[in-house]
Amino acid sequence: MYKDKIVLITGSSRGIGSETANYFLKNNAVVIGLSKGVPAIGNVNYHHFSVDLAKPEEIIKTFKNIAKHFKKIDIVINNAAVLTSQYSMIMPLKNAVDMVNVDLLAVFLVSRESVKLMRKNQYGRIINISSMAVSLEPAGDSLYAACKAGINTLANVMAKEFASFNITCNTLAITAYETDMLKQHSPEAQIKIKEIIKKLPIARMAEKDDILNVIDFFASKRSGYITAQTVYLGGVN
Amino acid sequence: MEKKKITEIVTSTVCSLVETLPAEQKFIVDQNTILFGTGSKIDSLSLVSIIVDLEGVFSSDYGIDISLTDDRAMMRKKSPFDSITALVDYIEELTLEN
Repeated sequence: MYKDKIVLITGSSRGIGSETANYFLKNNAVVIGLSKGVPAIGNVNYHHFSVDLAKPEEIIKTFKNIAKHFKKIDIVINNAAVLTSQYSMIMPLKNAVDMVNVDLLAVFLVSRESVKLMRKNQYGRIINISSMAVSLEPAGDSLYAACKAGINTLANVMAKEFASFNITCNTLAITAYETDMLKQHSPEAQIKIKEIIKKLPIARMAEKDDILNVIDFFASKRSGYITAQTVYLGGVN
Repeated sequence: MEKKKITEIVTSTVCSLVETLPAEQKFIVDQNTILFGTGSKIDSLSLVSIIVDLEGVFSSDYGIDISLTDDRAMMRKKSPFDSITALVDYIEELTLEN
């Protein structure tokens, strides 16, 4: 399905990023994975670039390196995110800065640098992975929700800027998904998440295929007329 | 880098952009071609494309990192985008510093 397509995925070492990378590989794409640390996927079509997405200069440098190896990028999945769930008044400054850098600024930079390669080919799909937190605005997630709201808006504005290059920009806002990031939460936070899930119209966590289904839709060649859209999973709106 | 070479790169980049324009918007590129503001024959998005292309070519083909849109470029009395000549002069200045 994705033969000859080059897909760049941030946060490819674990969770949704890893699942998405494996999905595209299984469907014959070449995958460029960006994440901190060593590659977690062993596949000849997987190319890993180790980068700390909290450091903007590293992102720019990494893309110079990517451009030396790849003449195009077709699809970008801005998946990487960090989350510290904490009341604003006691949120450590470092965690706050990391969230803004990884969850918002890195999405901007990765999209921007990718478009420089996409536009030569006059084709591209940018998909931002956002969160139900934008709509539900849970206490403790002020900055996380704000950053995720930011990437929704980022996609909408970039959709206008890049439309003439046949590049679409869309957002998938997911509900909770069983990942390492979720497991890092305190027991209290995990109870809070379960309470939120119980109140969703479809009262369960997201499953891998719920996410891949929408990614497929946005990534499809047929979706060239779909841009600046946000899809929430599980009945959140 | 010689000025002649910079002129060649800038002119060829602008010409490549012009080639992508619809027939009725195409124009002849010369040293006085205005890239931004009154009298410019290209829109702002086309100018962005030229800037990105030039920064890319200088970085990837010549190992010279230049930024054509930082504060310094924007604050100049004579905009680097007034004409191709002005842009070449500005890039020459940047490459000499690099």
